[in-house]
Amino acid sequence: MSKPHYDLEHHVKKATGIGDPQCFKGEAGKAKFKVGDKVKVRDISDLFYTRTPMYTRGLEATVVRLVYETPPAEDEAWDNTENVEWMYSVLFKQKDLWPEYSDTFSSDTLETEIPEHGLEPA
Amino acid sequence: MSKNHKAAPMVDEVSEFEILELAVRELAIEKGLFTQEDHNAWTDYMHTLSPIPAARLVAKAWLDPEYKKLCIEDGVKASLEVGIDWINQMPTKFGTPSDYCNLRVMADTPTLKHVVVCTLCSCYPRPILGQSPEWYRTPNYRRRLVRWPRQVLAEFGMQLSEEVEVRVVDSNQKTRYIVMPERPKGTEGWTEDQLTEIVTRDCLIGTALPKPGKTANDKRYVRPAVNPYGH
Repeated sequence: MSKPHYDLEHHVKKATGIGDPQCFKGEAGKAKFKVGDKVKVRDISDLFYTRTPMYTRGLEATVVRLVYETPPAEDEAWDNTENVEWMYSVLFKQKDLWPEYSDTFSSDTLETEIPEHGLEPA
Repeated sequence: MSKNHKAAPMVDEVSEFEILELAVRELAIEKGLFTQEDHNAWTDYMHTLSPIPAARLVAKAWLDPEYKKLCIEDGVKASLEVGIDWINQMPTKFGTPSDYCNLRVMADTPTLKHVVVCTLCSCYPRPILGQSPEWYRTPNYRRRLVRWPRQVLAEFGMQLSEEVEVRVVDSNQKTRYIVMPERPKGTEGWTEDQLTEIVTRDCLIGTALPKPGKTANDKRYVRPAVNPYGH
Protein backbone atom coordinates (compact mmCIF):
# COMPACT_ATOMS: atom_id res chain seq x y z
CA MET A 1 0.00 0.00 0.00
CA SER A 2 1.38 3.34 -0.96
CA LYS A 3 1.74 6.05 1.62
CA PRO A 4 -1.20 8.46 1.57
CA HIS A 5 -0.33 11.96 0.47
CA TYR A 6 -1.37 14.81 2.72
CA ASP A 7 -0.89 18.31 1.42
CA LEU A 8 -0.19 19.81 4.79
CA GLU A 9 0.47 23.22 3.27
CA HIS A 10 -2.90 23.43 1.54
CA HIS A 11 -4.49 25.84 4.00
CA VAL A 12 -1.30 27.85 4.43
CA LYS A 13 -1.05 28.42 0.68
CA LYS A 14 -4.65 29.48 0.49
CA ALA A 15 -4.79 31.79 3.51
CA THR A 16 -1.34 33.43 3.53
CA GLY A 17 -1.63 37.15 2.91
CA ILE A 18 -5.43 36.85 2.58
CA GLY A 19 -6.67 35.60 5.93
CA ASP A 20 -9.20 33.04 7.07
CA PRO A 21 -12.25 33.24 6.52
CA GLN A 22 -11.41 35.82 3.79
CA CYS A 23 -9.71 33.10 1.69
CA PHE A 24 -13.08 31.38 1.10
CA LYS A 25 -14.79 34.48 -0.28
CA GLY A 26 -16.95 33.81 -3.31
CA GLU A 27 -17.04 30.02 -2.88
CA ALA A 28 -20.40 29.61 -1.15
CA GLY A 29 -22.63 30.65 -4.01
CA LYS A 30 -25.94 32.36 -3.48
CA ALA A 31 -26.96 32.91 0.13
CA LYS A 32 -30.19 31.20 1.15
CA PHE A 33 -31.17 33.90 3.64
CA LYS A 34 -30.96 37.69 3.67
CA VAL A 35 -30.82 40.31 6.41
CA GLY A 36 -34.20 40.56 8.15
CA ASP A 37 -35.25 36.95 7.43
CA LYS A 38 -36.82 34.99 10.24
CA VAL A 39 -34.99 31.72 10.69
CA LYS A 40 -35.08 28.71 12.96
CA VAL A 41 -32.03 26.86 14.27
CA ARG A 42 -32.16 23.22 13.19
CA ASP A 43 -31.70 20.70 15.95
CA ILE A 44 -29.22 18.53 14.06
CA SER A 45 -26.80 15.99 15.48
CA ASP A 46 -24.02 17.53 17.52
CA LEU A 47 -21.81 14.49 17.01
CA PHE A 48 -19.58 16.40 14.56
CA TYR A 49 -21.08 19.88 14.38
CA THR A 50 -20.55 21.14 17.87
CA ARG A 51 -20.36 24.90 17.39
CA THR A 52 -24.06 25.73 17.31
CA PRO A 53 -24.90 26.31 20.98
CA MET A 54 -27.44 23.87 22.42
CA TYR A 55 -29.40 26.73 23.98
CA THR A 56 -30.29 28.07 20.50
CA ARG A 57 -31.55 24.79 19.02
CA GLY A 58 -35.07 24.75 17.69
CA LEU A 59 -35.54 28.45 18.36
CA GLU A 60 -36.38 31.38 16.11
CA ALA A 61 -34.06 34.28 15.33
CA THR A 62 -33.61 37.13 12.85
CA VAL A 63 -30.72 37.36 10.41
CA VAL A 64 -28.82 40.61 11.11
CA ARG A 65 -25.73 40.14 8.94
CA LEU A 66 -24.22 37.82 6.35
CA VAL A 67 -20.78 37.73 7.90
CA TYR A 68 -18.49 35.60 5.71
CA GLU A 69 -18.21 32.38 3.73
CA THR A 70 -16.45 29.36 5.18
CA PRO A 71 -16.50 25.60 5.38
CA PRO A 72 -17.79 24.46 8.78
CA ALA A 73 -14.84 24.73 11.16
CA GLU A 74 -15.66 21.19 12.29
CA ASP A 75 -15.04 19.95 8.70
CA GLU A 76 -11.76 21.84 8.57
CA ALA A 77 -10.58 19.84 11.57
CA TRP A 78 -10.68 16.82 9.19
CA ASP A 79 -9.03 18.74 6.35
CA ASN A 80 -12.32 18.99 4.48
CA THR A 81 -12.86 22.42 2.94
CA GLU A 82 -15.27 21.36 0.19
CA ASN A 83 -18.56 22.56 1.61
CA VAL A 84 -18.11 26.32 1.81
CA GLU A 85 -21.31 28.00 3.04
CA TRP A 86 -22.57 31.34 4.30
CA MET A 87 -22.28 32.20 7.97
CA TYR A 88 -25.08 34.29 9.42
CA SER A 89 -25.10 36.49 12.47
CA VAL A 90 -28.54 36.01 13.99
CA LEU A 91 -30.36 37.78 16.80
CA PHE A 92 -32.45 36.01 19.44
CA LYS A 93 -34.79 37.51 21.98
CA GLN A 94 -33.62 36.52 25.44
CA LYS A 95 -37.27 35.78 26.30
CA ASP A 96 -37.27 33.09 23.58
CA LEU A 97 -34.05 31.50 24.83
CA TRP A 98 -34.92 31.44 28.51
CA PRO A 99 -38.62 31.24 29.39
CA GLU A 100 -37.96 32.58 32.90
CA TYR A 101 -36.21 35.72 31.58
CA SER A 102 -37.65 38.83 33.22
CA ASP A 103 -40.52 40.55 31.37
CA THR A 104 -39.14 43.88 32.56
CA PHE A 105 -36.14 43.37 30.31
CA SER A 106 -38.00 41.81 27.39
CA SER A 107 -36.04 43.90 24.86
CA ASP A 108 -32.76 42.12 25.76
CA THR A 109 -31.19 40.08 22.98
CA LEU A 110 -28.38 37.68 22.13
CA GLU A 111 -26.40 37.60 18.89
CA THR A 112 -24.39 34.65 17.61
CA GLU A 113 -23.27 33.04 14.35
CA ILE A 114 -24.97 30.02 12.78
CA PRO A 115 -23.88 28.36 9.51
CA GLU A 116 -26.38 28.00 6.67
CA HIS A 117 -26.74 24.22 7.20
CA GLY A 118 -27.87 24.93 10.75
CA LEU A 119 -30.78 27.17 9.73
CA GLU A 120 -34.19 26.73 8.14
CA PRO A 121 -36.87 29.32 7.29
CA ALA A 122 -39.07 30.04 10.31
CA MET B 1 20.76 18.98 54.40
CA SER B 2 19.71 16.10 56.63
CA LYS B 3 20.27 12.59 55.38
CA ASN B 4 16.54 11.98 55.70
CA HIS B 5 15.84 14.62 53.12
CA LYS B 6 14.35 13.23 49.94
CA ALA B 7 14.54 15.01 46.65
CA ALA B 8 11.05 16.20 45.76
CA PRO B 9 9.87 17.76 42.53
CA MET B 10 9.56 21.54 42.61
CA VAL B 11 6.06 21.32 41.20
CA ASP B 12 3.76 18.60 42.44
CA GLU B 13 1.29 18.59 39.63
CA VAL B 14 1.31 19.26 35.95
CA SER B 15 -2.16 19.46 34.46
CA GLU B 16 -3.19 16.98 31.80
CA PHE B 17 -3.62 19.82 29.33
CA GLU B 18 -0.04 20.94 29.89
CA ILE B 19 1.15 17.39 29.20
CA LEU B 20 -1.09 17.21 26.12
CA GLU B 21 0.21 20.54 24.79
CA LEU B 22 3.80 19.44 25.32
CA ALA B 23 3.21 16.07 23.65
CA VAL B 24 1.46 17.58 20.62
CA ARG B 25 4.08 20.31 20.31
CA GLU B 26 6.95 17.80 20.42
CA LEU B 27 5.24 15.53 17.89
CA ALA B 28 4.62 18.49 15.57
CA ILE B 29 8.28 19.50 15.79
CA GLU B 30 9.41 15.89 15.22
CA LYS B 31 7.15 15.65 12.17
CA GLY B 32 8.56 18.90 10.84
CA LEU B 33 5.30 20.88 10.87
CA PHE B 34 7.17 23.71 12.58
CA THR B 35 10.46 24.16 14.37
CA GLN B 36 11.27 25.04 17.96
CA GLU B 37 12.44 28.36 16.55
CA ASP B 38 8.97 28.98 15.05
CA HIS B 39 7.42 28.14 18.40
CA ASN B 40 9.71 30.58 20.19
CA ALA B 41 8.92 33.33 17.66
CA TRP B 42 5.19 32.75 18.13
CA THR B 43 5.46 32.79 21.92
CA ASP B 44 7.52 36.00 21.85
CA TYR B 45 4.95 37.59 19.55
CA MET B 46 2.08 36.57 21.87
CA HIS B 47 3.77 38.37 24.74
CA THR B 48 3.83 41.66 22.81
CA LEU B 49 0.03 41.83 22.53
CA SER B 50 -2.07 44.21 24.63
CA PRO B 51 -5.48 45.94 24.62
CA ILE B 52 -3.94 49.34 23.75
CA PRO B 53 -4.57 49.14 19.97
CA ALA B 54 -8.24 48.35 20.56
CA ALA B 55 -8.51 51.26 23.02
CA ARG B 56 -7.03 53.57 20.40
CA LEU B 57 -9.42 52.25 17.76
CA VAL B 58 -12.36 53.22 19.97
CA ALA B 59 -10.87 56.64 20.79
CA LYS B 60 -10.30 57.35 17.08
CA ALA B 61 -13.85 56.33 16.26
CA TRP B 62 -15.21 58.67 18.95
CA LEU B 63 -13.41 61.54 17.23
CA ASP B 64 -14.04 60.55 13.61
CA PRO B 65 -17.54 59.44 12.49
CA GLU B 66 -16.17 58.22 9.14
CA TYR B 67 -13.67 55.97 10.92
CA LYS B 68 -16.45 54.71 13.19
CA LYS B 69 -18.39 53.62 10.09
CA LEU B 70 -15.33 51.74 8.83
CA CYS B 71 -14.93 50.02 12.22
CA ILE B 72 -18.50 48.75 12.09
CA GLU B 73 -18.24 47.73 8.43
CA ASP B 74 -14.77 46.15 8.39
CA GLY B 75 -12.97 45.71 11.72
CA VAL B 76 -9.90 44.09 10.13
CA LYS B 77 -9.37 47.07 7.81
CA ALA B 78 -10.02 49.56 10.62
CA SER B 79 -7.39 47.78 12.75
CA LEU B 80 -4.69 48.75 10.24
CA GLU B 81 -4.99 52.38 11.35
CA VAL B 82 -4.05 51.43 14.90
CA GLY B 83 -1.10 49.34 13.76
CA ILE B 84 -2.68 45.89 13.81
CA ASP B 85 -2.56 43.86 10.62
CA TRP B 86 -4.64 40.75 11.32
CA ILE B 87 -3.36 39.02 8.21
CA ASN B 88 0.31 39.82 7.69
CA GLN B 89 1.61 40.70 11.14
CA MET B 90 1.61 37.21 12.59
CA PRO B 91 4.89 35.27 12.51
CA THR B 92 3.10 32.61 10.42
CA LYS B 93 1.52 35.12 8.01
CA PHE B 94 -1.75 33.21 7.85
CA GLY B 95 -3.19 32.40 11.25
CA THR B 96 -3.67 34.58 14.30
CA PRO B 97 -3.54 33.74 17.99
CA SER B 98 -7.34 33.98 17.75
CA ASP B 99 -7.24 31.40 14.93
CA TYR B 100 -9.17 33.58 12.52
CA CYS B 101 -9.01 37.04 10.94
CA ASN B 102 -12.52 38.39 11.30
CA LEU B 103 -13.11 41.26 13.72
CA ARG B 104 -16.44 42.91 14.39
CA VAL B 105 -16.69 46.12 16.36
CA MET B 106 -20.00 46.22 18.22
CA ALA B 107 -21.00 49.85 18.68
CA ASP B 108 -23.12 50.68 21.73
CA THR B 109 -25.80 53.37 21.55
CA PRO B 110 -27.62 55.14 24.41
CA THR B 111 -30.21 52.33 24.25
CA LEU B 112 -28.01 49.35 23.35
CA LYS B 113 -25.20 47.76 25.41
CA HIS B 114 -23.09 44.91 24.04
CA VAL B 115 -21.16 42.40 26.11
CA VAL B 116 -19.00 39.58 24.72
CA VAL B 117 -18.62 35.97 25.81
CA CYS B 118 -17.49 32.71 24.26
CA THR B 119 -19.66 29.94 25.65
CA LEU B 120 -17.71 27.27 23.75
CA CYS B 121 -14.32 28.02 25.27
CA SER B 122 -12.50 31.35 25.22
CA CYS B 123 -12.46 32.94 21.73
CA TYR B 124 -11.00 36.41 22.13
CA PRO B 125 -9.60 38.95 19.63
CA ARG B 126 -6.02 38.51 20.81
CA PRO B 127 -4.22 40.40 18.01
CA ILE B 128 -5.93 43.62 19.09
CA LEU B 129 -6.87 42.90 22.72
CA GLY B 130 -3.99 40.78 24.07
CA GLN B 131 -4.57 37.81 26.36
CA SER B 132 -7.99 37.30 27.88
CA PRO B 133 -8.45 37.82 31.62
CA GLU B 134 -8.74 34.69 33.70
CA TRP B 135 -12.42 35.26 34.56
CA TYR B 136 -13.34 35.48 30.85
CA ARG B 137 -12.32 31.83 30.45
CA THR B 138 -14.16 30.49 33.49
CA PRO B 139 -17.26 28.30 33.05
CA ASN B 140 -18.93 30.55 35.63
CA TYR B 141 -18.78 33.67 33.42
CA ARG B 142 -19.45 31.73 30.21
CA ARG B 143 -22.54 29.89 31.28
CA ARG B 144 -24.07 32.67 33.36
CA LEU B 145 -23.58 35.65 31.06
CA VAL B 146 -25.80 34.29 28.28
CA ARG B 147 -28.62 33.54 30.67
CA TRP B 148 -28.38 36.18 33.39
CA PRO B 149 -26.51 39.03 31.67
CA ARG B 150 -27.88 41.81 33.86
CA GLN B 151 -27.06 39.97 37.06
CA VAL B 152 -23.51 39.25 35.89
CA LEU B 153 -23.03 42.86 34.75
CA ALA B 154 -24.30 44.01 38.15
CA GLU B 155 -21.53 41.94 39.74
CA PHE B 156 -19.13 43.95 37.59
CA GLY B 157 -20.69 47.11 39.00
CA MET B 158 -22.88 47.96 36.01
CA GLN B 159 -26.59 48.39 36.52
CA LEU B 160 -28.56 49.30 33.43
CA SER B 161 -32.11 50.58 33.17
CA GLU B 162 -34.85 48.77 31.31
CA GLU B 163 -34.65 51.38 28.52
CA VAL B 164 -31.27 49.90 27.59
CA GLU B 165 -31.29 46.68 25.55
CA VAL B 166 -28.52 44.36 26.72
CA ARG B 167 -27.15 42.37 23.80
CA VAL B 168 -24.93 39.41 24.63
CA VAL B 169 -22.62 38.41 21.78
CA ASP B 170 -21.62 34.75 21.82
CA SER B 171 -18.36 34.33 19.90
CA ASN B 172 -18.84 30.76 18.72
CA GLN B 173 -17.50 30.78 15.14
CA LYS B 174 -14.81 32.68 13.18
CA THR B 175 -15.69 36.23 14.22
CA ARG B 176 -13.95 37.88 17.15
CA TYR B 177 -15.58 40.89 18.80
CA ILE B 178 -14.74 44.07 20.63
CA VAL B 179 -17.28 46.47 22.11
CA MET B 180 -17.22 50.18 21.26
CA PRO B 181 -18.82 51.86 24.27
CA GLU B 182 -20.48 55.28 24.17
CA ARG B 183 -18.12 58.20 24.70
CA PRO B 184 -18.71 59.31 28.30
CA LYS B 185 -19.73 62.82 29.34
CA GLY B 186 -16.94 64.98 30.71
CA THR B 187 -14.52 64.15 27.89
CA GLU B 188 -15.38 67.10 25.65
CA GLY B 189 -12.32 68.48 23.88
CA TRP B 190 -10.12 65.54 24.87
CA THR B 191 -7.35 64.35 22.55
CA GLU B 192 -7.12 60.83 21.10
CA ASP B 193 -4.37 59.98 23.63
CA GLN B 194 -6.50 61.12 26.56
CA LEU B 195 -9.51 59.16 25.33
CA THR B 196 -7.41 56.02 24.71
CA GLU B 197 -6.42 55.97 28.39
CA ILE B 198 -9.97 55.52 29.67
CA VAL B 199 -10.91 52.67 27.30
CA THR B 200 -9.89 49.77 29.51
CA ARG B 201 -9.84 46.10 28.59
CA ASP B 202 -13.09 45.51 30.49
CA CYS B 203 -14.76 48.33 28.51
CA LEU B 204 -13.75 46.52 25.33
CA ILE B 205 -15.24 43.22 26.51
CA GLY B 206 -18.36 45.11 27.56
CA THR B 207 -18.30 44.49 31.31
CA ALA B 208 -17.38 48.09 32.20
CA LEU B 209 -18.16 51.61 31.02
CA PRO B 210 -15.49 54.23 30.35
CA LYS B 211 -15.32 57.07 32.85
CA PRO B 212 -13.12 60.18 32.97
CA GLY B 213 -10.26 59.56 35.37
CA LYS B 214 -10.66 55.79 35.37
CA THR B 215 -7.71 54.26 33.53
CA ALA B 216 -7.58 50.74 35.02
CA ASN B 217 -9.89 47.77 35.27
CA ASP B 218 -11.89 47.49 38.46
CA LYS B 219 -10.52 45.15 41.06
CA ARG B 220 -12.57 41.96 41.27
CA TYR B 221 -14.06 41.18 44.65
CA VAL B 222 -12.18 38.32 46.28
CA ARG B 223 -12.84 36.60 49.57
CA PRO B 224 -10.07 37.44 52.03
CA ALA B 225 -7.85 34.52 52.98
CA VAL B 226 -8.95 32.98 56.26
CA ASN B 227 -5.49 31.72 57.11
CA PRO B 228 -3.15 34.02 55.22
CA TYR B 229 0.34 32.61 54.79
CA GLY B 230 3.01 34.24 56.92
CA HIS B 231 0.72 36.16 59.29
